[in-house]
Formats: sequence, C-alpha cells, structure tokens
Amino acid sequence: MNPTEVTHIAKAFGDTKAVVDVSFTVHPGEIFGLLGPNGAGKTTTIRIMLDIFKPDSGEVAILGGPMTEEKKERIGYMPEERGLYQDIALDRCLVYLATLKGLSKSEANERLDGYLERFDLAEHRKKKVKELSKGMQQKAQIINTVLHQPELIIIDEPFTSLDPVNTQLVKEIMGELRDSGVTIIMSTHQMHQVEELSDRILLIDEGRDVLYGNLNDIRRQYAGNAVLVRADRQLPQIPGVESVVQHNQATKLILAPETTPQQVLHTLVDDGVTLEKFEIAFPTLDEIFIQVVEPGED
Amino acid sequence: MSKTWLVASYDIKKHVYKRSFVLILLSVPFFVTIFIGFIALTISFENSSTPLGYVDHTGLLSDPIPLPSGEDEKRVEMVAFDTEEMAMAAIEAGEIQAYYLLGSDYFENREVELVYLEEPGDNARSDFYDFMQVNWAADQPIEVVQRVAGGNNVIIRSLDGRREFSTSGPTPGQLLPIVIGIMFIALVLFSAGYMLEGVTEEKLNRTIEVVFTSLSPTRLIGGKVLGVLGVNSLQLITWVFVGILAIFFARNVLNIDWLDNLQMQWDTVAMVAAVGVLSYLVATALMLAFGSTVVEAQEGQAVGMIFYMLFMIPLIAIVAIGENPNGPLAIGMSMIPFTSVLTLSLRSLFFTVPAWQLAASIFVHLLFVLAAVWLATRAFRLGMLRYGQRLKFKEIIGRAKSTGAEGGGA
Repeated sequence: MNPTEVTHIAKAFGDTKAVVDVSFTVHPGEIFGLLGPNGAGKTTTIRIMLDIFKPDSGEVAILGGPMTEEKKERIGYMPEERGLYQDIALDRCLVYLATLKGLSKSEANERLDGYLERFDLAEHRKKKVKELSKGMQQKAQIINTVLHQPELIIIDEPFTSLDPVNTQLVKEIMGELRDSGVTIIMSTHQMHQVEELSDRILLIDEGRDVLYGNLNDIRRQYAGNAVLVRADRQLPQIPGVESVVQHNQATKLILAPETTPQQVLHTLVDDGVTLEKFEIAFPTLDEIFIQVVEPGED
Repeated sequence: MSKTWLVASYDIKKHVYKRSFVLILLSVPFFVTIFIGFIALTISFENSSTPLGYVDHTGLLSDPIPLPSGEDEKRVEMVAFDTEEMAMAAIEAGEIQAYYLLGSDYFENREVELVYLEEPGDNARSDFYDFMQVNWAADQPIEVVQRVAGGNNVIIRSLDGRREFSTSGPTPGQLLPIVIGIMFIALVLFSAGYMLEGVTEEKLNRTIEVVFTSLSPTRLIGGKVLGVLGVNSLQLITWVFVGILAIFFARNVLNIDWLDNLQMQWDTVAMVAAVGVLSYLVATALMLAFGSTVVEAQEGQAVGMIFYMLFMIPLIAIVAIGENPNGPLAIGMSMIPFTSVLTLSLRSLFFTVPAWQLAASIFVHLLFVLAAVWLATRAFRLGMLRYGQRLKFKEIIGRAKSTGAEGGGA
C-alpha cells in the first residue's frame, strides 16, 4: 500500500485554477520532495491530500483510501503558514494539539519531555509561545508534527528560520523517521536540502506536474554533454570541448555534440594528466528547476 | 475523551483562566453588592431608630395605643413628655431624635409642630403619622384600628385579569422576566465575544490549518459552541447564586419588605428563556460566521457593538411598548431575534402575550437559527483558510456546491 496516491486532481477557486492536473505516488518509507515555484499549486495539492479541500476532479488515496477521522491521527502536518496558540504555555499548546491527534495527556507529556530536551526547548516549556523566538517556534512546530508518531508526515518548508545546528538536527530526525518506516512528503524551495534528503520528487508548475520521478534519473535526464574534471595541473587544450567553466573545486568542460566523455578522458590520459576527479556533470536541482519553470523554456 | 469535548474543554479553560474573565465574573456580584450597599446606606441615612417624643396638650394621646409592630417591622418608639422643656432636654440629651407638639388648638387647625435639632429620620415621621391614625380610631373596634394601621391597598388589574399591581408597584416576581431577559442579553453578548475571539484567534495565528488536519470542521464547531456554552453556564450559575445571596441578605439583614413577594410567573419566565436560548444560538452562529470572514480581530469587535445596539432597541421603544403592549411595533419586535427577548419581557409586565404570538415568535426564531447555522458553517469552511483576504457575503451564499473545509489560495 502506498501512503499517498494522487490521480489527476484539479481544483479551481472561482476563475483561478490552482491545480490543473497533478498525479503522483509516494512510496512507503521515502522522503518525497514536492517542489514548485510560488503559486504553482503545492499548498492546494497538500490541502487536497489532507481533505481540507475537496478536489473538483480526480482522486486522492491516503494511507490506502479516502481520508477519515481515524487516519488524521496517523498523519503529521506542518503547514507553510505556521500556527501555534500564542497566548498559552508551550507545553500546554503542544499537549493539547497532540491530544487532538489521539494521544492521552500523560502520553503526550511523556513524549514531549524527550523532544523538548532534544530541541533545547526544555527550559522554555512554561513560556508563552509568543515569547519564543521565531526559530524556537519553528522547532515547536516540528515537535507538534512528529509528537504523535505519525506514519505519514507532510511538511512544508521545514528549514525556514532554523540555524545550521537546528537544520542539521531536523535532518537527522527526518532521517531517523524515514529509517523507522515513516513516509515524509517535504515541500521546500531549498533545493540542496531536497537533493540531500529526497529519493524522488515532483515538480509542479502552473498547477501541473512537470517533473516526476527518481531524483538521479531526472538529473541524468537533464544532464547536458559535459564533464567535471579536477587535475593536478592546468588542463591542456582538448579537441571537441566548446567551453570551459569553473565549477566549485573542478572544471566543467562543455562538450561539442559529437564529442563523448570517453574521448575527452582518452585525450587527458594520453597527455599524462593525473586526474583527481572525472565525472559526468549532472545539473543541480536548482538548475533543473530554473530550466523547467522559466518562461519560454522546456 | 472525544475531540469535540477536548476542544470544548480547551476553550473553557482558555477563557476561564484569563484575568479578564474573572473580572467579568466578579463584576456582576461587585455591582450588586455596591447597589445593595448604596440602598442600605441611603436607608440608614434616612432612617433613625432613636425614639420620638411628643407633647400632647389635647388629651388625644393620654392613653395611647402603640403601633402594631411585626417581627420584621421595627417601629420607632413614641415617648410622651408633659412639657416642651422636658422634651427639648431629652433631645439635647440624645434620648429622642425630635418631638411633636400637639397644641391645644390642634382640633381646630389639625396642625402639629415638629421640633428638632437635627432632621429626624423619614421612618420617624411616617411612624408618627401611623401612630396618630391609630389613635384617632381608638374608639373603634380593634379590626377597624388594624385596618386603619394597614393603610391603603389599591390593586390594579389588567383587563384579562392575569396581571395586577398593588399601589406599591411591581413585585420582584413580576420584574424577574425582565431581569432574566437582561441576563440573557449579557450572556449573548459575552458568548458572541468568546466565539469571535476563539475563531479569529485560530484564523489569525494560523493554528486552524493544523487543527483541521486533526478533526472535522463539524466537530471543531461543535466543540467551540459547547465551550462557549460551558463558559456561559459558569457565569450564569455564579450570577444566580450571587443573586440568591443578595436577596437573602436584603430580606433578612436589611429587612427590605418589597422582596417578600418572590412569587414567580413561571409561564413568563419560560417564554423569555425559550426565546432567549434561540436568540443566543442565532447570535453565536452569526459571530462564528463573522469571525470566519474577518481579516483583523478589531473588525469583529465592531460587529459585537452592532449586536449590542440591536439588543437595546426595545429600551428605546419602551414607552411605545408600555402604551400599546399588543400593538404592531411590540408584536413585530417580539418576532425578531435580538429585540424579542427584552420586548417580550417588557410586554409581559403589562400584558399576557397570546399563545399564537409566542408560537409564531418561536417559529421565526427557529428559522433564524437554521439560517444562521447554515451561514456560519459555510463561512467557517470558506473563510478560515483565507488568510489576509476578506470573504464576501455573495461567496458564502453563492457556492453551495462545496462540501469540504474550503478556503482559497494556492
């Protein structure tokens, strides 16, 4: 059973078509990246998945079928529009929201202790939420999403407002959750985080799915005819190379259409160049994203 | 515990733990205490239990009949003096507060003279008047004397014979429906405020989206309504308890006789309560609807003020209602939620509201309740996820197709 199956959903608000045609499947135990520019329809898609909106057409199967009240307890959701009760103590807020997810009060309190310690919020537990910094509230929001130990987590921009230390902590927790079999759908603009964490992605643009599948396959698909080379000395002139650009610690060689990477490798070895790195230059997700969603581009 | 109860319990605690709630809760007992204290203080300033003297040169009071004094009725003691000098000495010694002089020409001019250094209490003057009446009738049979001491007792009855007033004005039981009506209005205003606060808070701090993924909008609304009912019940119980205490204190400690007649007109109480509960539901549902559509909390408070003014319309029309309690204005205002509670309370003071009018009023109120609940549910579903965007009325009415907790945005 796939935790999420979305089939040709569409949703309009008045004359605005928020989602035109989106389909995808999320596999058990994976971190699935849901990407797209602002206004692409990501949030509406998520809200349809969670049964907050009904689709005008299409179908959604969550945890094996339509959404039910019981299934809501097996799902953790962190929306893009962060929301916690501001005028009450942090622990009271999180325990209340956890009880709405089916935990008993004592169970929620017990689990909360561990998470507050881990997120360095234990000493702030009695503070009103509004007294916490933005980063602390973000951490509290993440605790709220995972406290009831859901099977499926839908998380929108999880790293916003987090410093590098806490970003790493959240990544670790996401990794642990995935390893324990939890499925995570992560929507974010931070492409490097998706590259690091996600196995598969869906890119939505103007309400349609424009890119979907395994991340490595997609990068391969979008890879141009180029190689990344790092050598012990200056590279010689290589026939069939159209241009040379510096790329991080390496040199990116853009090849002519008729040139193959094997020919370039051969030339370098024949020239006696000691190679520290030689690999096919896959595009970054950022580059693919821009290429796909930029107006006038395919 | 069911999620509806969880929401209700959370909302009750949220309101009850606030300092403002405690202030509101205690403000009514506080003002009741102040009011009773003011009355007690006024009475104590106006009355004095110090004996009153008299000097009688006519012989009318040579063998005086004392005023009949009940258990709860303390009469000022009348002390006879032979001469004015002796009476004046008693005033100066503080033994009496004043004395009356019945001169030898009293039978001709019926005039008495009141002599005092400090103004005597109103009760002393009143008791001396009764004392004179009783003694004027001293040669009459005892029943006549007692009747004279009882004074006038004119009873005014309505044409249908179901409403009557004594000369002393309406009894507490007759005024109770108005008190209940005003209490309902206070509850409606508070509940509307709580509902508005609860809804706008969750909308404006964006918690609603998380909550929507934990329970259905129907359960959420149900929980919120129960929460507001719980808070209001707590207020009502506290106020009723304080009211009973106040009446007990006023009757037994301050000896306010007016409170003796506490006989209730249960049919009127039931009528006001029935219409009050329905108005309560209408107001709460409308506040839920407004709360779902507003962009800022201040907008909701302005709407609360409009509700308050609607409720107070009958007070502006009180003269017209009193003059013609079965006129078109009174009947019309009895049919509309908000104006109905106070209008029916005021009408019931002068008039027995016909059963058909009450039935029609309840029917109209039920229609309003259904419409308001429908409107609230739709506004809630459409408006709660519309952050920073106003939901238009025609959108609520126009899009009857949707079934989920809908909003806008991509």
